[in-house]
Amino acid sequence: MRPLTDEETKIMFEKLSKYIGENIKLLVDRPDGTYCFRLHSDRVYYMSEKILKLATNFSRDKLVSVGTCFGKFTKTSKFRLHITALDFLAPYAKFKVWVKPGAEQSFLYGNHVLKSGLGRITENTMQYQGVVVYSMSDMPLGFGVAAKSTQECRRMDPLSIVVFHQADVGEFIRNEDTLT
Amino acid sequence: MRRLYVGGLSHSITQKDLKDRFGKFGDVQDVELRTRRDEEGVPYKTFSYINIEISDADLKKCLTVLNKSKWKGGTLQIETAKESFLHRLAEERQAAVEQRLQPPAAEDKRQKLLDSLSKAGVDNFTMKAAVPGTEVPGHKDWVVSKFGRVLPVLQLRSQKGNKARTMKYDPSKYSHNIRKLDRNATDQSTPVTQLTWEVQGGDDDISKKRRGEFPPYEPPRPKRSRKDVVNSHNAAGRTRFEQTVPSVNHTESHHFTNGFQLPTSHRPAQRKWAPLTDGDVDSDEEIRRLVAAQDTSHGALCQGVEEDNLEVVGLDYLVKPGRSQQKGGPDDEDEDDYDSADTDELFASRKPPPPPPSQEKQTLPTAEHLSGNNTDRKRKTKKKSKAGVEEEEEEEEEEEEEEEEGDSADDEDHLTCRKPAQQRGVSAKQSSQKHGSSSEKQSKRMAALPVVKPPLSESDSDEDDEDEDDEELESADSCSDSDYEAMFSNVTCLEISLADLQRLAEESQQTSETTPPSILSAGLEQETNHISSPAERPAPKKGTTPEDILASIMEDDSSDDEQKKKKKKRKGVTSAPLPAFQGTKTLSEGSETNDFQRRHKEEEEEEEEGRGGAVKKQKLDSEVPRVDCKISRTLSEQKHVEETTSESSEEEEEEEEEGEEEGEEEGEGEEDIEEEKKVVPNKAETSSSSSSDDDEVEEEEERMKASLTAKAAAKASPSSSSSASEEDEDEQEIISAEGVGKKATPPAPHSESSSSEEEEEEEERAPSRVTLGAEEEEKLQRKANVRRLAAIQQRLKEAEEHKKLIQGALSNLDSSTPGAGKHIVFGSDEEDDDDDEDKRQTTSEITMSKKTLFQDSQSEDEATSDEASANENKTRKEKKPSGPQLFGGSEDEENGDEEEDGGRFEIRPQFEGRAGQKLMVLQSRFGTDERFRMDSRFLEEDEDKGEESERKRSVTDEDEALEEEKKKNLSILQSVLGSSQQTCSSKTASKAKTFRDVSALHYDPSREEHAAFETKTDEIKESKSARRKKREEAQKLPEVSKEIYFDVSGDLKAVFGQTKDDVARGEEKTNWDQEEEEEEEGGGKDEEPTLLSSLVSTHPSAENDLDESSGFKFSFFGDDTETGSKETEYKVESIQAPKVSWQQDPRFHDSSEEEEEEQEEDEEQSNTTAKSTEEETSSKTDLFFFFYPEDSRLTEGPRLFFRSSQLEEQREQWEERRSALRQEYRKKHKDARRKLKSSLKS
Repeated sequence: MRPLTDEETKIMFEKLSKYIGENIKLLVDRPDGTYCFRLHSDRVYYMSEKILKLATNFSRDKLVSVGTCFGKFTKTSKFRLHITALDFLAPYAKFKVWVKPGAEQSFLYGNHVLKSGLGRITENTMQYQGVVVYSMSDMPLGFGVAAKSTQECRRMDPLSIVVFHQADVGEFIRNEDTLT
Repeated sequence: MRRLYVGGLSHSITQKDLKDRFGKFGDVQDVELRTRRDEEGVPYKTFSYINIEISDADLKKCLTVLNKSKWKGGTLQIETAKESFLHRLAEERQAAVEQRLQPPAAEDKRQKLLDSLSKAGVDNFTMKAAVPGTEVPGHKDWVVSKFGRVLPVLQLRSQKGNKARTMKYDPSKYSHNIRKLDRNATDQSTPVTQLTWEVQGGDDDISKKRRGEFPPYEPPRPKRSRKDVVNSHNAAGRTRFEQTVPSVNHTESHHFTNGFQLPTSHRPAQRKWAPLTDGDVDSDEEIRRLVAAQDTSHGALCQGVEEDNLEVVGLDYLVKPGRSQQKGGPDDEDEDDYDSADTDELFASRKPPPPPPSQEKQTLPTAEHLSGNNTDRKRKTKKKSKAGVEEEEEEEEEEEEEEEEGDSADDEDHLTCRKPAQQRGVSAKQSSQKHGSSSEKQSKRMAALPVVKPPLSESDSDEDDEDEDDEELESADSCSDSDYEAMFSNVTCLEISLADLQRLAEESQQTSETTPPSILSAGLEQETNHISSPAERPAPKKGTTPEDILASIMEDDSSDDEQKKKKKKRKGVTSAPLPAFQGTKTLSEGSETNDFQRRHKEEEEEEEEGRGGAVKKQKLDSEVPRVDCKISRTLSEQKHVEETTSESSEEEEEEEEEGEEEGEEEGEGEEDIEEEKKVVPNKAETSSSSSSDDDEVEEEEERMKASLTAKAAAKASPSSSSSASEEDEDEQEIISAEGVGKKATPPAPHSESSSSEEEEEEEERAPSRVTLGAEEEEKLQRKANVRRLAAIQQRLKEAEEHKKLIQGALSNLDSSTPGAGKHIVFGSDEEDDDDDEDKRQTTSEITMSKKTLFQDSQSEDEATSDEASANENKTRKEKKPSGPQLFGGSEDEENGDEEEDGGRFEIRPQFEGRAGQKLMVLQSRFGTDERFRMDSRFLEEDEDKGEESERKRSVTDEDEALEEEKKKNLSILQSVLGSSQQTCSSKTASKAKTFRDVSALHYDPSREEHAAFETKTDEIKESKSARRKKREEAQKLPEVSKEIYFDVSGDLKAVFGQTKDDVARGEEKTNWDQEEEEEEEGGGKDEEPTLLSSLVSTHPSAENDLDESSGFKFSFFGDDTETGSKETEYKVESIQAPKVSWQQDPRFHDSSEEEEEEQEEDEEQSNTTAKSTEEETSSKTDLFFFFYPEDSRLTEGPRLFFRSSQLEEQREQWEERRSALRQEYRKKHKDARRKLKSSLKS
């Protein structure tokens, strides 16, 4: 477990900023304590300083997970967000999409969000903007990328994709073994 | 015979010629010669038709010979022609004649066919017992089909495009199509009546009209229904047979599925069903069907609507996770756990449900009255039955105990009674109370006051409750909408709780009724009592409802009004104020102490406390209530006698009693209502927070702390009431609310109500007693009430006990206050032990004093009672400081408890910090034994310190590392956000980059943001400039010293010299100010060595400062060019002097203006000024004031507005200049044109 390099930090922040923009600052500079990002087996973990100290007691090979896993660096050194980061993305998300109850399940099975399932969307959402997907009862379900801008969404036919699926809470079950 | 056409004949040819000519080939029968002539009769064409008997060979020969042969001046043209029409006509007629002869032959043929068929076994085209498809023997084209019918095989000409010309149609292969229309009809002749037939067209409007049937007038329909009408027409257009249900339904269903609007769909449906049901029958079925159809269509509509709308939400849309939680049901509680303590406070403050009280009252009474009645009944039974033998024994034993310890017996009794009824509502408690009271009666120590008393007090207390409710309501109003929602949810809960309560009441009743049998032997009047109780039951209901209404009305009033009302009541009912107040007060207190005792008995942890309480109680009892004991006893006996008599014979008395009891019941009912109201919110609270005990505990802690100081408590109480008594009540309320805590929700409110209402209860109770005419009775009642209250209190205590237990358990887990939980155990106990005796003393004294106070207040009005309560408060306050951990005041035990609790959870000073924690651990090692109590001396401080420092160091290192990391992260984040387009910082940057029209910008010194345009000078520079100014000012003074003057002059010289240079060299000069400085320096050297030193000292900084210029400058351009990339909008920039064309020191103002104008005059002018300065410097000695004699400035000055040269010269100059200008202009114009052209071309 080590701190992220500048390059890694940059990559990760770039990715995160697609969803929460400058609110990353709130993750880095928290009033309730010192929190930090740590890289462990290509995964980035977000944890408080206390937990970090506790985790130092474990050898690297024995340590499976610390704090919250935000995602992992791929072999091509890109950053890939995991669904476990949703807890931190959802409250700070700038652009949101609400999915109708009927389309929730579809999304939670890993499908894209179609126009027919789109209940509500934040205005001025750009194309390919990272969005957090909510149920109509404001329960965060996952996140993805807006396939169309808000204006385009209005005119779409019901079967066209509006949000590309990236991660959903169903992965907690589906990818249980890989989510750490 | 052939008919030939012969053309190309000459005009002279005759028929004979033709006959001769064609005669060679055959027999010419007729020649028809024709000649065509024009208008003048000149023939231009002649031809002929020849009928000739000729053979084909001859015809050929003829054609070959004569065709195209020349004959008499014309070429013959011979062709075969059609027969002449006459001939044809003749032939046709002949044929017609022949035809007439033919038919018999056809007949014959058919006959022949029939014959032949019949021969083959076919009879009337039917062949019996023949399988379809068999050929009729002898007839190739005839086949047997279904039903033995013989049919011909047809050769159908197939349509064009088919390869096969014809299609063979074998009817036998399509025999399934054949249907027998009527089996016997062939022979039967149709009756004459059936020969008439109707005009086809069915139910068409038009056809109907043709038949003379006109439909009844219908008002014109809206256009919407037109389609439906059309449909109905279509349906009607079919035959009547077809107009069946399915078809109609089909159309209908079509309509509905299409999602038409309701009204339209409604009408057509009716119309269509009308024919089905033979007209106007609007059966229920129909309507139902319609409704159902509407519903379905509605649903379809809704769905359709839903599908369409896509919400677009602003960026500031707030996600409300609470919504889901509310829906989430069971998860709520879990999620509440994570909420902060604030929410719990909210909950607490929200206790009473807001809905209009009047409604509540009306709805509630049913259940509550039931419970109340039950309790009443129980009460009576108890009253009469007194108690079972076992109980008596117990009580006797307890008696002794009581005498020894105090009222512990009561407690035990209560305990025993309560156990079954513990989870029950108010009624159960009351029953338990009764038990206690009865036992006391038996023991003859305490009268059976509770029987009569509690109800009365309750009746009065209702109002108090209402008061509280009002307050709570107000507080609730102040709460947010979410609270409202919660409250409404509470309302639903309330219903449930009502049911539960009812059930509980029934249960309690059962239990109470079960107990009597055992007591039967003891109580003779029981049966009578039982009889009386049902009779009484209906009465309270009647009585209560108006009362409730009144109460509800009164609720609306403010608390003050309430009080007034009470006063009125009091005055109205009672003639004289009563001493009740004091006695009850003390009694209640005593009861509270009792509670303590009970608790102590139950839980051995607080034995010492309890003992202390017991002792106190003893004192109290002995002092005030016990004095009345005997009297009350006698009274109770009296009462009993009364009751028995009333039951037996005296109805009036009974009525009186009943009236009383009614009142009581009313009170009870109301109280119940109140209680329930409170209970429900409490329940809600507990249900919401039951899972989270931590929150509760915290809340309680907070509350306790708050209650440590009475005023603080009063403030903490949700409603800030003006009167002190109300405050008291509030406090108690809070306490009770806390008490509610875990499981015993119902008891708490009860106690709450009872405890809070003590004062007023007493006040109003007393009057009623007065009517009875016995003060002792009142006292007895009071006592009973006290008992009741005590029971309630006990409950409360129990609940608190539980709480404490849980707290203790939780406090271990609680990381924030690890020491506090453990600490409680030691500290409080010890201190209790130590201070027990003293406390007793003090408390007793205090109570005495209080007594006196209250006695005073009794004589006075309500206000005084309020005062008394205030006094009470005061006393409480007084007590508090004396012993923070101990439950100090005997009167307000709860407060003492609170204090205690608060004290428990407070971290003692010696246990604070890391060392304190250690000490704590050390202490805990040896348990609570005081002998092994560890002091801070036992702490090894040195080690700790060393360790701590080390730790600190490491911690700080780590922290620093983390801090650095964080900073780094932030910086990276900054870079990331800067690079990415959609972040806020970049947004601001983009904002800064927005185009600003420089020309439109005007410097407004009054505007703050324009201050950014001013380039600020450093302080040093300012000081310098200020100094200069001073010098200049000094210059104005006649007595200015030479030095300063020289300095100024040097300065001026430098300045003007600079301007000269500036003008001469233009704007390219970079470091004019430096030069200026140098010049200045030089000047200083020349003239003033002292000044020089000062200048030198300031020089290095001054040089830099001069770059930024001394005065204040505008920097529109610089800003534009340089700050574009910078973040801040209007950043003050240090601008390079050369870049800014017109940036100048204000001192140079006039000359700079002239620069801009670029006129020779100016140059001259500046030159002259420079000269003048030089002159100045040279003739500095004779300078006086502003001017010196023969000042060159005076001579040069007028040049500014004078013509320096002759007009002709100027004109010449101008001419020269003009020509040059003109040339330049033309050139530029041309260039511009060329550019324009080129751009156009491209």
